[in-house]
Amino acid sequence: MASDKELKKVSLSIVGMTCVSCVGNVEEALKGVRGVKKAAVNLATAKADVECDPAQTSLVAMKKAVDGIGYEVILSTANLTVTGMTCAACVENIQQAVGDLPGVAKVVVNLASGSARVEYEPAITPLSEIKRAIRELGYGVEERVEGQEALDREREARQREIRRQRNNLIISWSIGLVVMLGTFQPYWVLRDVLPALMNNKVFLFLLTTPIVLGPGRQFFVSSWKGLKRGLTDMNLLYATGIGAAYLIAVINTFWPDAGFGGREATFYEAAALLTAFIILGRYLEAVTRGRTSEAIRRLMKLQPKRARVLRDGKELDIPAEEAEIGDTVLVRPGEAIPVDGLVAEGYSSVDQSMITGESIPVEKKAGDEVIGGTINKTGAFTFRATRVGKDTALAQIIKLVEDAQTTKAPIQKLADKVAGHFIMGVHALALAVFLFWFFAGYALWFVPESRLILTPYLLTGMGVFGFALLTSVTVLIISCPCAVGLATPSAIMAGSGKGAEYGILFKGADAMEATARLKAVIFDKTGTLTKGEPSVTDVLTLEHLSQNHVLHLAAVAEKNSEHPLGEAIVRGARERGLEPEDAQSFNAIPGHGVEAQLDGRSILLGNRRLMAERQIALDGLMPEAERLESEGKTAMFVAVDGKPAGIVAVADTLKETSALAVKELHRMGLQVAMITGDNRRTAEAIARQVGIDRVLAEVLPEDKANEVKKLQAEGLKVAMVGDGINDAPALAQADVGIAIGSGTDVAKETGHVILVKDDLMDVVAAIQIGRQTLRLIRQNLFWAFGYNTLSIPIGAGLLYPFVAQMVSPELAALLMATSSLSVTLNTLRMRSYIPPIRRPGRTGTLKPTRAAMPSPRTEPKEQLT
Amino acid sequence: MNIHRVGLLSALIYTGIALTMSGVFLAVTLQGEYSWVTRIGGASWVFLLSMIVLMPLVSSFVKRRYTAR
Repeated sequence: MASDKELKKVSLSIVGMTCVSCVGNVEEALKGVRGVKKAAVNLATAKADVECDPAQTSLVAMKKAVDGIGYEVILSTANLTVTGMTCAACVENIQQAVGDLPGVAKVVVNLASGSARVEYEPAITPLSEIKRAIRELGYGVEERVEGQEALDREREARQREIRRQRNNLIISWSIGLVVMLGTFQPYWVLRDVLPALMNNKVFLFLLTTPIVLGPGRQFFVSSWKGLKRGLTDMNLLYATGIGAAYLIAVINTFWPDAGFGGREATFYEAAALLTAFIILGRYLEAVTRGRTSEAIRRLMKLQPKRARVLRDGKELDIPAEEAEIGDTVLVRPGEAIPVDGLVAEGYSSVDQSMITGESIPVEKKAGDEVIGGTINKTGAFTFRATRVGKDTALAQIIKLVEDAQTTKAPIQKLADKVAGHFIMGVHALALAVFLFWFFAGYALWFVPESRLILTPYLLTGMGVFGFALLTSVTVLIISCPCAVGLATPSAIMAGSGKGAEYGILFKGADAMEATARLKAVIFDKTGTLTKGEPSVTDVLTLEHLSQNHVLHLAAVAEKNSEHPLGEAIVRGARERGLEPEDAQSFNAIPGHGVEAQLDGRSILLGNRRLMAERQIALDGLMPEAERLESEGKTAMFVAVDGKPAGIVAVADTLKETSALAVKELHRMGLQVAMITGDNRRTAEAIARQVGIDRVLAEVLPEDKANEVKKLQAEGLKVAMVGDGINDAPALAQADVGIAIGSGTDVAKETGHVILVKDDLMDVVAAIQIGRQTLRLIRQNLFWAFGYNTLSIPIGAGLLYPFVAQMVSPELAALLMATSSLSVTLNTLRMRSYIPPIRRPGRTGTLKPTRAAMPSPRTEPKEQLT
Repeated sequence: MNIHRVGLLSALIYTGIALTMSGVFLAVTLQGEYSWVTRIGGASWVFLLSMIVLMPLVSSFVKRRYTAR
């Protein structure tokens, strides 16, 4: 039982409480958590004051209890930069140590970006305690800063690490090579060219000791810090390997009769070269790791430093971050646009490729939007700043990509878990191998004339303990899964960066992995497959009414509508010189149409479902409506005072790339569907034009999410492509919600993947980048784990009974370093990757050929509602 | 049980098991013709590897058993 002194008072911010019963529910939930002594909730401040025993409870338990009954505990988030991590086990160790702190609810550590994101309650565990826990494990930690400062600090830290490992590399290799030459002095021609002193064991001891205690010291220090907390990492493998080789050599030098193989078994070169190879691997990793985040660095570099603004009639040259909303900013040809804004005066073309991926410069005139970080090409202009600092499109994109890079893909969570347990498994295996060779293998198969692979070294003087220990150490070194930690995060970083280059923003690693696994894509019709700018094409009336009269009435009904079809009707009326008056009353019926009152007359405008509901007979209009619909036009019926009056047909134009994008998706083996509120006939006509084989027609806006669910129920991983605002529920329901054409306000979008441009080809490119990233991850994991699977049996001496040769510890270290290098080099291939759809000669418009199009399959109406 | 006691209990358990394992190793080698250096060296290596294997296993087990997570 905790005394009052040991109890801790915690204040939790809770969202979602609306009444006294909520207060009671939250209090009950908190009191039900083991270790919570008191819980008092204040509705007005939305806070819960909890008294708890930190040894018995945790923030996770409290958060889980509150979240479980439908409320939410709001926590602080800290983004930290962690230095000194080298492998997946480091990630696991930090996650475990920080996750064990009582005030931490969630911690995600990313090896490739050297970052950690922690959700925590400062009242229980202050940030300083989190940082201390990380430091105690032997890693460096500081709060993450953003923008240019972050770039500078990150580069500085990386350079520091590279410098450190380079110095270690120089020391270990220069001395290590002398040790190797000295070891082999009695062999080959070396006998004639090198003095015998070099083979003196004490001389070798004097050379090897500085390597083990200098560059090799980092492994002993790090593994000891971890062991003190009961944690194991790759450093422990190195430390035990180097330590054992060195210790045997020292014993055999000074106590040759101790039974460890005598003076002929002083593996100083093993200890020295083992250290040298491991440090070579560390150095190469440090050099290549930063390069995977090249894309984000390039984005950061785009941020202009200076802005020229007009204030009080004077032209001032100020730092870009000091520009304010409403400032008039001047831009000359060739200059970077410092912040986001709207062109006030002037005309120019602007290269926006760095933000949108659009290769052709975009013309800008008064009223057009310009994006900070893009380059003004031809003319000079002024613009009014609308977004500055952290709100600019570029800043939002950088933040989004950075956030995505700190998340973990499901495949990575599994790999981390496996790697975390791998270290323990390797030590257990090393123990088993030692026992086997000690008690059985040595007596059965040991041959005094046997040797280490690629060396002239005979194992003649090797005793049972020395031989079993050598094999055991080799297993420790050769099994090291150091490449596993980098395999996934480096690929995710490279993939998300590549996406950003094309204006494709993945909101997380899970979104990227889900995109790669997609089996079906649903496109919203209006504004996604079509341009979303419909126009009136036909006005048909019953005999006694004029076309203008019917169109005028329709325009009156739609005057206050924000629906694209309504806007098209109002625009169409105005083009014919008909100015619609304001209706006395107006009522939008979502998914059906509108009704309005004008001068005592009731106007109804909408689809046949609305007419059927209001029992308006459409007999005379139906054949014409069906004809219009089969042409891909949307027929809207007009009824006045409960009687049919006519049809207003509206048609939208397909985007130039819609058909090509659908064709490419089909070629990639994906099912493609279209979802629309339009009637079946119109929907099928549009679907035929773009080549879509599955039509979900007459779907009310609120039912779109259900349609996505139905496809998911068929076992398909589904993407929904649509407008990020109107289609938000369907985007959220889909495995991957792709918000298209978000423009520059990416932060507001609800999708998992955000396409800056309004181009369907980017949907294809997003899937191709996702698939390429997943392919890279799989290849990397193959190199990382596959190597271990192959090399462990060899290291354990499986081939020894047949070939009488053993793998030496230094050869094992070389193989291990090769594995890490192959992973990092494989990831770097992503830098030159171009999604196939974006390769030269692949883009362009495809004219739909009716005969070539598959016949669309329409979902039965009954299933849709 | 507070965190220090949990750590102490874990250390007692994994050290005890590792010592037992190296003791068993030593006992088995007494049946064969091994030198004392070989026996002690082998037992030390068994103890070291056993400790490394057992430390995380026992620590997390004890922590789970005696604290509410």
